[in-house]
Amino acid sequence: MTPPDSFINRRDFLSKTLATAGAGLVMGAPSILRAANTAEGEQVKVALVGMGKQGRVLFESMCNIPGVHFQAVCDIWEYNRKGGVAKVRALQGHTPKGYADIDEMLATEKGLDAVVISTPDFWHAPHTVKCLEAGLHVYCEKMMSNTIEGARTMVHAMDKSGKLCQIGHQRRSNPRYRFVHDQLINSNKICGQIVNLNAQWNRAVNSSQDIGYNKKLLIEDEILNKYGYADMNQFMNWRTFRDLSGGPISDLGAHQIDIFNWFMGVPPKSVFASGGNDYFTEREHFDNVMAIFDYDTPQGGVRAFYQVLTTTSAGGGFWESFMGTQGNIKISEIASNTKIYREDSAPSWDSLVDRGILKKGIAPAPPPPSADAVASYASAAPEIFELPGGFNKPAHQPHLENFFATVRGKAKLNCDARHAFESEAPIFWVNPSALQRQPIQFTAEHLAV
Amino acid sequence: MSSESSGSSSHKLALTFSSLLVRLWLGTRALQTGIEKYAGSKASGGLVTIDGTPNEYGLTAAGATKQYGMEFYHGVPQALMSKFQAEPLMFKWALPLYDKMLGPVFILLGITILLGIANRISLFLLGLLYISLTWGLILIKQDEGVSWLGIHMILVVMGLAMAEYNRFAVLKKW
Repeated sequence: MTPPDSFINRRDFLSKTLATAGAGLVMGAPSILRAANTAEGEQVKVALVGMGKQGRVLFESMCNIPGVHFQAVCDIWEYNRKGGVAKVRALQGHTPKGYADIDEMLATEKGLDAVVISTPDFWHAPHTVKCLEAGLHVYCEKMMSNTIEGARTMVHAMDKSGKLCQIGHQRRSNPRYRFVHDQLINSNKICGQIVNLNAQWNRAVNSSQDIGYNKKLLIEDEILNKYGYADMNQFMNWRTFRDLSGGPISDLGAHQIDIFNWFMGVPPKSVFASGGNDYFTEREHFDNVMAIFDYDTPQGGVRAFYQVLTTTSAGGGFWESFMGTQGNIKISEIASNTKIYREDSAPSWDSLVDRGILKKGIAPAPPPPSADAVASYASAAPEIFELPGGFNKPAHQPHLENFFATVRGKAKLNCDARHAFESEAPIFWVNPSALQRQPIQFTAEHLAV
Repeated sequence: MSSESSGSSSHKLALTFSSLLVRLWLGTRALQTGIEKYAGSKASGGLVTIDGTPNEYGLTAAGATKQYGMEFYHGVPQALMSKFQAEPLMFKWALPLYDKMLGPVFILLGITILLGIANRISLFLLGLLYISLTWGLILIKQDEGVSWLGIHMILVVMGLAMAEYNRFAVLKKW
């Protein structure tokens, strides 16, 4: 399959090889970022852009971070806006100014240092670019944009402005994920040769229904249309519309496919996807999507299977699994879903336990012999281990802490826009592959910024 | 002593005990509810050590311990606060004040009811407090909570109805 026409004129990127495109991923850490201009000890003055469900999740996480002052709240919906203002007032005893329009906010508010953007996906790029051009540091929720071109504009705006732009792939700052990436996979290589990746986000039908709304709280059509929504239903359920989002593969899958790409250190070389409207037949986006990515890694070929189902929670919710010749690491943002398995034939991990790198887990009781199974067909049960510790913070807090520490010049971003783009670029091609029922072999045109 | 007066005396003793039990229940309930407003949890484990030194990732030993302190104070639970703030009939200006007062008021009323200081007024004020909580829960459609508070109100009314049998009180007046 060839890329759309809009990418054909990107000849200047053709000279870049795929290896170059993945250079940042190979390095595994964001580039050195600009020194911040907020002095240590000063409050970082923040505007909250988008105070819907995810905006509130981020706000609750930021409440625990010292030195953050919420100066303004922006949301086109008065209900969200007033709720956000009230939350800030309850937290810091100061009433921030509320805005319906981001342009008005940027023109009016003085002294802002940063914005936290959690608007619908199709607004991420315009809002991020505006704020970077206004000289503000940006924390923007993933997926970077509903289009790859929108995501590119964010990287270019970050580079041009010299400001920070962190994308909300919060697992990149999660201590458990960082530990697994650094210590278990790269340093101690407990999986041996990783041969397969597997991940899923399966969500029950009840959790995937359209979001309703109170008729008394309707937004006027004129305002909805001004901001790109056909009606209130589209405003509430933008995730299900093709022009406004990438659908479940980007809404849920982006987090986990990002982990594939981060942990492998290289971008995939191809994707082959399938999707359908199996239950929510009226929706524009697929309700169930499955994708297979192929990787060429320094240790060998790796195939990755990912599925996002919005029609069943079967299979244990959401997790990512890294399967190797000597071990398997199954990790999830839910700590209790994380388990590590040593293959029976692998060298002992006792020394790792002694050093504190792993903790022995409790093996379940072996199943009784079953007459309907041939014992010799089964592999020996793997030994179970656990991570040595966890962390007691909201899931998004470490990533926001990393952002504000970088604003203060005390850290480097864990997921700046360029690295986020390198990881997200393959995700933009899942839906096209599923729609055309064809594999896509990635070229620089597909993946380059 | 006639059997009639003996029966009456036994009845009074039962009512005195009833009054005392209701007082103790309501007082304990109010006092501990107020104290719990100052409860929070802190990660019990420090940083996990790897190769003998604290890890640089921030991994901590699992588990958290319950602690009390001013820094944990939360009058109205955060989850409910946001719902109250979104209610059009809620007096937004009063919410922060109510949030600040709720814990101390519960503790104060708990102490006065347990010690029997101005028992009638204390119980009446406790009833008003429960009515205010009930109103909030009605707004956000927490019907189970409303029913729960209804049981408290019945106990408050019982306490008031048996106030004349109240004994072991520091200040019986009011």
